[in-house]
Amino acid sequence: MKDVYFPDITVIDDIRNETGDVKTFTMRFKDPDIQENLAYRSGQFFEVSIFGIGEMPISITSTPSRKNFFELSVKNAGLVSGALHSLPKGSEVGIRGPFGNGFPYEEIFGKDLLFIGGGIGLAPLRSLINNVLDNRDNFGKVIILYGSRTPGDLVFRDEFKLWQDQLDVTMLVTVDRGDEKWIGNVGVVTTLFPKVAIESSNSVAFVCGPPVMIPFVIKDLLKLGFREDTIISTLERHMKCGVGKCGHCCIGHKYVCMDGPVFSYGEMKAMME
Amino acid sequence: MGRYEEDLWIITRDNLFALMEVFIKTREVIAPVRGHGGEVIFYPIQGIEDVAWDWQYVNAVLPPKRFFLPQTEVMFEYRYDKGYKITPRYDDQVRMIFGIRPCDVNALVFLDRFFGGGSLSKKSPDEEPLFPDSHYIRRRANTFIIAFGCHQPGENCFCVCCDAGPFLEEDYDLQLTSMNGDYAVEVGSARGLKIIYGNEHFFRLISPAEVKELGRIKEDALNKFADTCAYVSKAIRRVTEAKVDDSLWEELAERCLDCGGCSYVCPTCCCYNIVDIPLSDKSGTRTRTWDSCAFAGFTRIAGGEILRSDKKDRLKRRFFHKLSYQYIEKNKRHGCVGCGRCITTCFADISMPSVVEAIRRQKATVQATKP
Repeated sequence: MKDVYFPDITVIDDIRNETGDVKTFTMRFKDPDIQENLAYRSGQFFEVSIFGIGEMPISITSTPSRKNFFELSVKNAGLVSGALHSLPKGSEVGIRGPFGNGFPYEEIFGKDLLFIGGGIGLAPLRSLINNVLDNRDNFGKVIILYGSRTPGDLVFRDEFKLWQDQLDVTMLVTVDRGDEKWIGNVGVVTTLFPKVAIESSNSVAFVCGPPVMIPFVIKDLLKLGFREDTIISTLERHMKCGVGKCGHCCIGHKYVCMDGPVFSYGEMKAMME
Repeated sequence: MGRYEEDLWIITRDNLFALMEVFIKTREVIAPVRGHGGEVIFYPIQGIEDVAWDWQYVNAVLPPKRFFLPQTEVMFEYRYDKGYKITPRYDDQVRMIFGIRPCDVNALVFLDRFFGGGSLSKKSPDEEPLFPDSHYIRRRANTFIIAFGCHQPGENCFCVCCDAGPFLEEDYDLQLTSMNGDYAVEVGSARGLKIIYGNEHFFRLISPAEVKELGRIKEDALNKFADTCAYVSKAIRRVTEAKVDDSLWEELAERCLDCGGCSYVCPTCCCYNIVDIPLSDKSGTRTRTWDSCAFAGFTRIAGGEILRSDKKDRLKRRFFHKLSYQYIEKNKRHGCVGCGRCITTCFADISMPSVVEAIRRQKATVQATKP
């Protein structure tokens, strides 16, 4: 019987500074067989162990369409993430998973896709965006709207040009407050809505960002005619076990670690704290 | 009665004592013993004289949960030496729990379902279990259950309202019932039957008159429990449909001391925390410890925000988990076995019967609670 609490050892091959407090770690399982057989869905998460410090759930930011490695983008926000940030290349980290349901994928073939990200919330969306772009023919129009507090808080900036240059991808970026070098949009992410042609009838919207952003975005999406089940988001909880046992992530009768972390707005509305 | 054809036996008290001495030599025997303050607790025994016999106690102050889910449990050790090496730690001690009451056995069955196969609403329990908890499962498989049926309800017992006693119909290895100074023995499993056949000289087959007597004892016991009944089914319906007005939880929150005692004494509460305990720069353990949804820090996330910071929401959460139909569907029973320990423990009188009663008295609210 596989012990669900037993992490496998991974190695950090590369570290990129995204912002002052966000790093992207490129990693692989030490055991080549495990890396070879790694299968995950965009939107799933790993339980990441820094031995001696603890474990934390982190969404996978790489796309399953690219093999031989995986990536985690982590904000330095607590004990374990702080410890991960202090590790040099070549360090070993424990990984359990992947866990959780993940974003719908096959279910959204043929649909127009609207991605709305805020801050580090782009990390789980990036997995799905790259998965979609690697299989571009399966999908309709793709619109990416992304916002952060300041230009310095934008993550994956290197990739923006790649995305924007793709045929049939519209990408707009905004910041709450610009700086002297910023010549782009200023304002919260919903101020980008009027600048793009959003057709809600055959669309699915994916929304990930800080809790303060989500209600405003959902309100505007509903106004645009999106149905509650075509607005997809993720919930943040501290999933300690990842396997529906420890109880920390329960909302109502849902376990965010197993039934989520991806939920439609319709499902979220029906939940009870 | 038991599931096996030769399922009813008699063992004299002297023979039971002698048999117990055999068990004590071959495995760890956990039994109700008297603590220094006179309270009865489940504890490993060294000799038969340690046991508080069933006529001396109603139930132990704590359930035997800790022999399956210890309060603190090392799950693995890690060590760094040119790379991390992880060694899992399992408790494979062969055990026998002697004198466990039917309510606590029913709680174990609840935990079996929970730890045995995940709790995904999308999966039916007959499918391949998802994420089984090998630490729990190994302990459970190595533990032999000798249950004691209950003649007499304790002052806080309400197992009959929870379909959890005062006698078991299944889920035991052996069930003993005190009868005229001896014990009637029911066999509930193949390994229970093996114990009988392996020690046949201690047992004799029951007589037809004794079968009748056993039936009468069980009937009498049920009658003694009858007037303790609570309105559990009504509470289940109200909680499931979110028709309990928040004012109830607000009232309870004013009294609740946030101590988590209810969770610790509850035989079905099994939430836990996971922490690393370093022993040096290069080695340490990953350990799980009991936790409680009553604590504010239970829902703390990175950055320090506490998602269920309001005490009334935490109380609502606990009783929703125990009573709602959504969880009954997953776990095949509601999360209370009527042991009454929360009544004994809670300083603020927030127990299953008191909450169920408060829900009964409250007028159902029309509007459902929204997040």
